[in-house]
Amino acid sequence: MTTTANQTVTAAALALALGTALTIAAVPAGAAENGAKEKCYGVALKGKNDCAAGPGTSCAGTSTKDYQGSAWKLVPKDSCVTTASPTSPTGHGQLAAFKDKS
Amino acid sequence: MSGQTDWCAALLDPARTVPAGLVTWNGSDPVQRFAVYRNNVTVSLMGAIADTFPVCQALLGAARFRALARAFVRDQPPRSPVLARYGAGFADFVAASHLADDWPCLPDLARLELACLDALHAGDAEPMDPATLAAVMAGPERLPALRLRLHPSLAALDSRYAVVSIWAAHQGDETPANIDPDVPESAWVLRHDRSVRVLPMAVGDVRFIAALRHGLTLGEAAALAADGADFDLTRCLTVLLREQVLTGIHDPDLRIHP
Repeated sequence: MTTTANQTVTAAALALALGTALTIAAVPAGAAENGAKEKCYGVALKGKNDCAAGPGTSCAGTSTKDYQGSAWKLVPKDSCVTTASPTSPTGHGQLAAFKDKS
Repeated sequence: MSGQTDWCAALLDPARTVPAGLVTWNGSDPVQRFAVYRNNVTVSLMGAIADTFPVCQALLGAARFRALARAFVRDQPPRSPVLARYGAGFADFVAASHLADDWPCLPDLARLELACLDALHAGDAEPMDPATLAAVMAGPERLPALRLRLHPSLAALDSRYAVVSIWAAHQGDETPANIDPDVPESAWVLRHDRSVRVLPMAVGDVRFIAALRHGLTLGEAAALAADGADFDLTRCLTVLLREQVLTGIHDPDLRIHP
């Protein structure tokens, strides 16, 4: 294959590929991909919190229990209060820290 | 100043004698005090290595990893005061030291974990507006001559081993499926929306990024990547756009699109 032929093929192939890529990439842009986040208390597994886990240890990965009410995790916006949390009095994650029910 | 050289060498090598002329403020044994300092230096650097290579540590087990990290720290102490990027030579050291030859995938796994760290600390860059790209589509005959500018965080690597699957199995809480470590795998590593992502890609896709990074045109890079390797141009461009790691296009016939 000569360089010229190769480049001609590539130009058409590039146009097709780029056109397809633009179409595919445009779809999820507004959806979950770029979605806003909210802090959700009581839904993180032990050591998997994003931040805030009680006095003296307020940072990521420091929660010592699953679903600890003082630890939060970033979740997609509006999904917090529907996420199950066995320690929460409401049975779901909360937007503010809460005291674990025993 | 040879005193400083002696001091540094003694810090990293417990077999050496304590530098001469040390005194302590309260009269305690300088040999003992120096040993404490030596231990703190080594252990803190070992901790930095363990933080950067958690999956390597998980594979090897804590005790063996500590021995490996200790050997590395003594062989290659940091050259820069920035501890966050310490460990660049770790993968090559692991391969050359033969301390973990029973885990042949370990050097590549370390390279993948280092790529994640580099992506995390890479500079920021604004993604290009897809509308600009759509305008470029108006002159498709110029596409092969375009040069793409990529986000500083984007890196690509391939391995003879299934390091991408092994790495993925150690993230999150899902139970890992059975992984055959001898399957070659490739990945793109990048930062999107302030988090590092490892995306399984093909060998040709990795070559494509390497070619673009070397300044080749879109046409040259695509031809090189497709030559005898698994390569999907549409997939590559889609991921570049979706992950917002395409930061600009240079069109030699027109002007620079920011």
